[in-house]
Amino acid sequence: MKSTTLKLGLLCAVLAGGAIRALALDGGVVIANPGVAADSLTADALKNIYTAKTKYWDGGQNIVIAVLPDKTDAALQQASGMDASQFKTFWQRLAFSGRGQEPKSADDAAALVALVASTKGAIAIVPADAALTGVKKIDIK
Amino acid sequence: MKYPNHKLILTLTATILAVGSAKAFELSSTTYSNLPPIDFHGYLSQGFLDSSSYNYLGDTTRGSFLFSEAGFNASMNPFPNTRITAQAFSYDVGQDVGKYDVGLDYASIEYTVNDYFGVRAGRVRRPEGIYNDIQDVDLARTSVLLPQGMYDARWRDFYESVDGGEFFGTFPLSKAGSLSYETFAGVANPAPDGGLATYLRSQLPANVQLDAVNSPVEGGVQLWWNTPLNGLRIGGMGEYISGAGDLTTVQTPVGPKNGATTYSVWVYQTSVEYLWKSWTLQTEYYNKTRTYPTGAYINSDSWYVSAAYRFNKWFEAGPYYTEYYADTTQRGNSLDYQKDAALSLRFDLKSWWVFKVEGHFIHGTGLLEDSIQPTPQDDRGWFMLAVKTTFSF
Repeated sequence: MKSTTLKLGLLCAVLAGGAIRALALDGGVVIANPGVAADSLTADALKNIYTAKTKYWDGGQNIVIAVLPDKTDAALQQASGMDASQFKTFWQRLAFSGRGQEPKSADDAAALVALVASTKGAIAIVPADAALTGVKKIDIK
Repeated sequence: MKYPNHKLILTLTATILAVGSAKAFELSSTTYSNLPPIDFHGYLSQGFLDSSSYNYLGDTTRGSFLFSEAGFNASMNPFPNTRITAQAFSYDVGQDVGKYDVGLDYASIEYTVNDYFGVRAGRVRRPEGIYNDIQDVDLARTSVLLPQGMYDARWRDFYESVDGGEFFGTFPLSKAGSLSYETFAGVANPAPDGGLATYLRSQLPANVQLDAVNSPVEGGVQLWWNTPLNGLRIGGMGEYISGAGDLTTVQTPVGPKNGATTYSVWVYQTSVEYLWKSWTLQTEYYNKTRTYPTGAYINSDSWYVSAAYRFNKWFEAGPYYTEYYADTTQRGNSLDYQKDAALSLRFDLKSWWVFKVEGHFIHGTGLLEDSIQPTPQDDRGWFMLAVKTTFSF
């Protein structure tokens, strides 16, 4: 009995550790411009980016957030802790008080991927089934 | 009913039509190959105020369209970790404040060393509570009028920006969330047609002329604890203002005589904001003490609670209740307080077009200070309607 309990406990610990290693955003994946050095981010680091606490990549390139309104709202909420309306208001406050730049937006997934591919420092959440041409995928841990 | 001047209406209308289908635009580095991209954004707001009794924020008993704001900004990142930004701004509140004069709202250069420390210098927006640095950005809230005892629309020229600089950053607190700070210092620049000048003129006897408003030195710190509970942040702000006051000329029987008034001000403000699902819940308390060289002082305070709920992409609504006391030793005198219950409806008609309508039931006349002499006593309450539309890009 004790050994069975121990094995189950170890199994739970392994499964929990595996879940912590990779965070799946609801229906979305994080992409970045190929010039961005990072290949992965922690969930906290991603949130810091989406809440303007981190504004620059290592090396000084400014972070440019790009969004796809309506299509990735659930994933955006996971990343930022804000729903789409709160997120938009948050960044408008920063942009019109001289403290930040409003995220860029695109009309569809292909346009968003193209925007990220052509914008230095860009990061975005795209639908999980989007073609990732010219961008790199960022793993969230 | 008071209308803005017609040339301005035509200019604003043309701008509205141009902005109506516009998105934020950017000068691409492919156009000017050595120039980093420059982002441009702007907004244009036009409002209407109508009150059942007493003129407040304009000639409102007859309905007033003299309630407008427009801003245009540009920003760029010319070097690593560096950003330059500036915004021009024009506004009008009633017939005496703002008058559509175009001014430099902010202009700064910012260098971010890391997440913990950055510096911003130039004309910077002053951080104070949830809304001080964005009080004229109609897009950034549900209501038309912010709680006026704390965010007086007539006083933005004095409270919104300082010429100086600030340090800013965020420290992680492990399981306790994080702590964000902004500490600022500089000189305020009250406008000759601003709210402070208008208020001072209204307080002077007939034989006294206001020559100038002092540009006081200010310094303070705003802290935000971003708690471990997602969406909850708690803030505290403290500030000291030195050398506020004015210069006057007094007409005496023996000729004009120069006069001067100076005082210092201590301010503190506490804030709580909770974003929970589609709710935005906020409460703040503000306290100000003005001290004269004689040692005499006046303490005033204000507080509010508000709740807003976003029903869907295009509709949000919410009430707020606020109280303001011009003199905390006179809390029972309706001449010295103003209590306001408001209900706001916000319609996001397009991503770039917002329309709001709002009703107020107000008791007291403590904030009518500069519009009517002598200030009337109110014991029954009065109503105010506020309507506003904003275009942005």
